[in-house]
Amino acid sequence: MNDDLQKRIQQAMANPQNVGEMADADSVGTVGNSDCGEMLRMWVKFREEGGRKVIDKASFQSFGCETAIAVASLATELIRGKTAEEALSLKTEELAGELGPLPPMKIHCAQLVEGALRSALNPEPAPQPGPAPATAPTLLDSVSGAKPAGLKVVFLDESNDAGNSSPQG
Amino acid sequence: MSANLTAQSSMSEVLAAYPGAQRALFRRYHIGGCSSCGFQPTETLAGVCERNGNLDVAEVLSHIQSSHAEDERILINPKELAELRKTDPTVRLVDVRSREEFDAVHIEGSILLSQPVMQQIMAEGTNSRPLVVVDHQGKNGLDAAAYFMGHGLQNVRCLRGGIDAWSQEVDPSVRRYQLG
Repeated sequence: MNDDLQKRIQQAMANPQNVGEMADADSVGTVGNSDCGEMLRMWVKFREEGGRKVIDKASFQSFGCETAIAVASLATELIRGKTAEEALSLKTEELAGELGPLPPMKIHCAQLVEGALRSALNPEPAPQPGPAPATAPTLLDSVSGAKPAGLKVVFLDESNDAGNSSPQG
Repeated sequence: MSANLTAQSSMSEVLAAYPGAQRALFRRYHIGGCSSCGFQPTETLAGVCERNGNLDVAEVLSHIQSSHAEDERILINPKELAELRKTDPTVRLVDVRSREEFDAVHIEGSILLSQPVMQQIMAEGTNSRPLVVVDHQGKNGLDAAAYFMGHGLQNVRCLRGGIDAWSQEVDPSVRRYQLG
């Protein structure tokens, strides 16, 4: 790996910005699957500015890949003050910001961030800006398979019950 | 066994010797995280290094070994944690799983990692109060522990085997689950 890139990634990792769940987010987007180590979830909060709805702040949660965390850290800073349309118009390589060009084997880290951003900024879901619990599906939503946006928890003692298998269990 | 690893060792041998090798490889070199950057168990370490930008095999092996040593130092066994909680009520259990999983099941007294929780932990900046990271099965917690340690917190541990091991070894009332 390029030493210079590794150094920049480590610098970004030394002080990642905007890490963690945002309780009062207006929308949330998830890509990947935590089991394969490539899940990334992003929360976005909007505010009104000059008659425009702009991104007030964004945060993310991800485990596994330094590059994805570094890119997500930079991207959540980059999109502040932008409208959803402006943020969505950013190219994958722009999201990586000061990390500079990524080698081919790391481009999909940035694509992961882009996917989470698109998922969070998709204007169709999240019709109501309600308080914390609205940002993620409840357990009941997930278990019932109503259309979970993210993860589905299946208790092992339940999954072993005969005749009670869920479509995706 | 670990001392016998060479450039010609298969990746399955590397993983057998160092179970955290995949995480270590992925974190630094982005190898083995998904199908596009994965490797075959039968591939040699040298082969994997060669097709990933001609990485220095000795450096990669050294990184795997140092990560392994660090992992062992950070991990805390479920029973050991249960004892620690009895003797030190200030122990914080920080759960890094998703909200769905936390709502489904969690260790009593643990808190879900959120932005405010993160800020509070960082603001306290104390090294005397133990912090134990809890994940599902011990796969992701070490990364979170490393994150806290990277911010200067020294008294950070990670529950070995996650909440899944806790339910098997300490508290069976904590229901086991999988992600579907």
